[in-house]
Amino acid sequence: MSNPSTTPSAPTGIVLNIQRYCSHDGPGIRTNVFLKGCSLRCKWCGNPESIRVKPELSYDPKKCKGRECSLCLKDPFPKGAFYFTEGEEGPVKVNWDLTSGCDEASCSLCPTGALEMYGKTMTVDEVLNEVEKDASIYRTTGGGITLSGGECMLQPDFSAALFGGAHQRGINTAVETACNVPWTNIEKVLPHVDTMLHDHKLTIPERHKKWTGVGNERILANFKRAYETFPNVDFIARTPLIPGVNADEEHIRAVLAFIRPHKNVIDYELLPYHRFGLGKYEYLGKVYELDDYKTPSDEVVKHLQAIIDEAFGRTRQADPTAK
Amino acid sequence: MVGAGFVPGMNAVIKGVALAAGHLGWEVIGIRDGFEGLLRPERYAEGGLLHLAPHLIENLDPSAGSLLGQSGRVDPFHVRQIDADEMVEEVDRSDELLAKLKAERIDALISVVGGQGLTILYKLHAKGLNAVCIPRAIENDVAATLVSFGFNSALSFTIEMLDKARQAAQAAGKIAVVEVLGSQTGWLALQSGIAAGADAVLIPEVPCDLQKLAAKLKEKMTTRRPYGLVVVAEGANLVDNAKAGTDKASTLKASLAPLALGDNSSHVIQRSGQAAETVANRLQLLIAEETFPLVVGPWARAGTPTAVDRQLGLAYGAGAVQALNTGQTGVMVAFVPPDIRFVPLAEAINKVRTVPPDNEFRRTAQSLGICLGN
Repeated sequence: MSNPSTTPSAPTGIVLNIQRYCSHDGPGIRTNVFLKGCSLRCKWCGNPESIRVKPELSYDPKKCKGRECSLCLKDPFPKGAFYFTEGEEGPVKVNWDLTSGCDEASCSLCPTGALEMYGKTMTVDEVLNEVEKDASIYRTTGGGITLSGGECMLQPDFSAALFGGAHQRGINTAVETACNVPWTNIEKVLPHVDTMLHDHKLTIPERHKKWTGVGNERILANFKRAYETFPNVDFIARTPLIPGVNADEEHIRAVLAFIRPHKNVIDYELLPYHRFGLGKYEYLGKVYELDDYKTPSDEVVKHLQAIIDEAFGRTRQADPTAK
Repeated sequence: MVGAGFVPGMNAVIKGVALAAGHLGWEVIGIRDGFEGLLRPERYAEGGLLHLAPHLIENLDPSAGSLLGQSGRVDPFHVRQIDADEMVEEVDRSDELLAKLKAERIDALISVVGGQGLTILYKLHAKGLNAVCIPRAIENDVAATLVSFGFNSALSFTIEMLDKARQAAQAAGKIAVVEVLGSQTGWLALQSGIAAGADAVLIPEVPCDLQKLAAKLKEKMTTRRPYGLVVVAEGANLVDNAKAGTDKASTLKASLAPLALGDNSSHVIQRSGQAAETVANRLQLLIAEETFPLVVGPWARAGTPTAVDRQLGLAYGAGAVQALNTGQTGVMVAFVPPDIRFVPLAEAINKVRTVPPDNEFRRTAQSLGICLGN
């Protein structure tokens, strides 16, 4: 898999998005920086626009002016990539198999912004200057920068440089990773990390492969090695909770058995499955394969959360608003 | 090579190609499971290629599935694989594919593909492959041909199922709302609905006003005939501009390239039943009678081909060989009665064969009092 970084000394990276005022991906109020490229293909992925390493086309048909515009049917857009069906009004249609020639320059010709590219190349300073805008909020809330993706460890030099630069500017660092990368990538990044959020998606390797594209043997080995090699990093395990896939007691207990021997794994969070990313599949012409899957019920989440709380030796306050 | 998605009658096409080529003294090699047999031959104990020898073809059962199997998605430009670092990636293996075809001394490729497959073969032809495509489309939505093979078998099966649904509705004294294949076009719904004597047929080409549909059904419901049959194509539109499925999923469906179809394709939404469920639920709020949804959809993709599809398959196969024999490549074989024609792939892609307003089937439906929801 190609690494978009140029040289270790002056790395650039392909950034998908910079999102301010985030509160769920590490301590305090944070700025999440999403990098492009992922080494898994989780069927429930909420960020499909982050999967491909390179920038890619997105199309919002609601913004398209239809036949009255038709600019995308001409040069420099790839021939056959956009078309109208005979006798049909409405937005232009996309033959996604012919869109590989679209780029930032051609998309900029779309007058309504219906065509855009997901992802752009940025320098470390460009990203950090954006992140630093909320420095005062980080100071008061204990927040900072969180690198997410995709899999940000696929751009290890860029990630390490971002975190190193953040620390120099007094900004707390967190990384969100699935760790399906070579260890050499991880050991470049983790020396600059304060908190590592990491996903335990499924327990059984064959099922992990079925739902994410690869087995979990290397991932678990990386987790264990990370816990042991970086004792000063706070590790927070997480599971995207999907009924019918992994929202079961066996998986939660297996994860607890894996993490509890390591004292620097300070928490285990459940992320109830949601479908917020659904619209992005439309923009990319991709299928959402979990269309029939539902958000886990409150009862299931509470039950599994109670198991985690018990394992961490804590009791939760009863919800005063509960009936 | 047989593309993604099962369609009854595949073996008839293979037989047509092999017999016609055999008459010319050509050797025919089949590629297993789309391009898998070439790109991943190690998966096959007997090799990824199959010599379509006369003894194999003569005894080929036309009612069985495809001799060559099929792949989930036929796209050598985006092959998903796990790299040396155990990371999932999509890579372009089209050059490798072309090199392997050359190494196997394969001069031309005849591909049985649907709409998206046509685009893939168009791209491969642009890179130098001598390609001839045979259209297969359950929905009959490939524009350049009047009839794709597979459609007639799906139509026959759907009519049979609608007959059973009507009988079930009669026994229950309810309105059966039956979803049939047709995400882009309403040929299957319209033709099967007419044949099965449906009360209403909702197709993607005609936005349906549920109020009008309800009023029409009220007229038709009597104490003597307290049941009904509504046929809904899975891509049917409602006049509020929401698709018949739930809003989110159907928004997705609506935005996809119409030709980007094929089982397990990364562009396909695998969900059936939404259209029937939505129409049945909304309709029941407007009328006194009870409705119940049924889904025929995916069942129509399998089974034994009809006589028409067997003949069509053989003719398409022979036609593809004829194209190559007359030096034509980069074309799709089209059936435009009474002729077999060859249409350049550049003209075949990005076109969907929809039901036009002045179509005879639409007029027939209206003459028979079948409500189209408008």
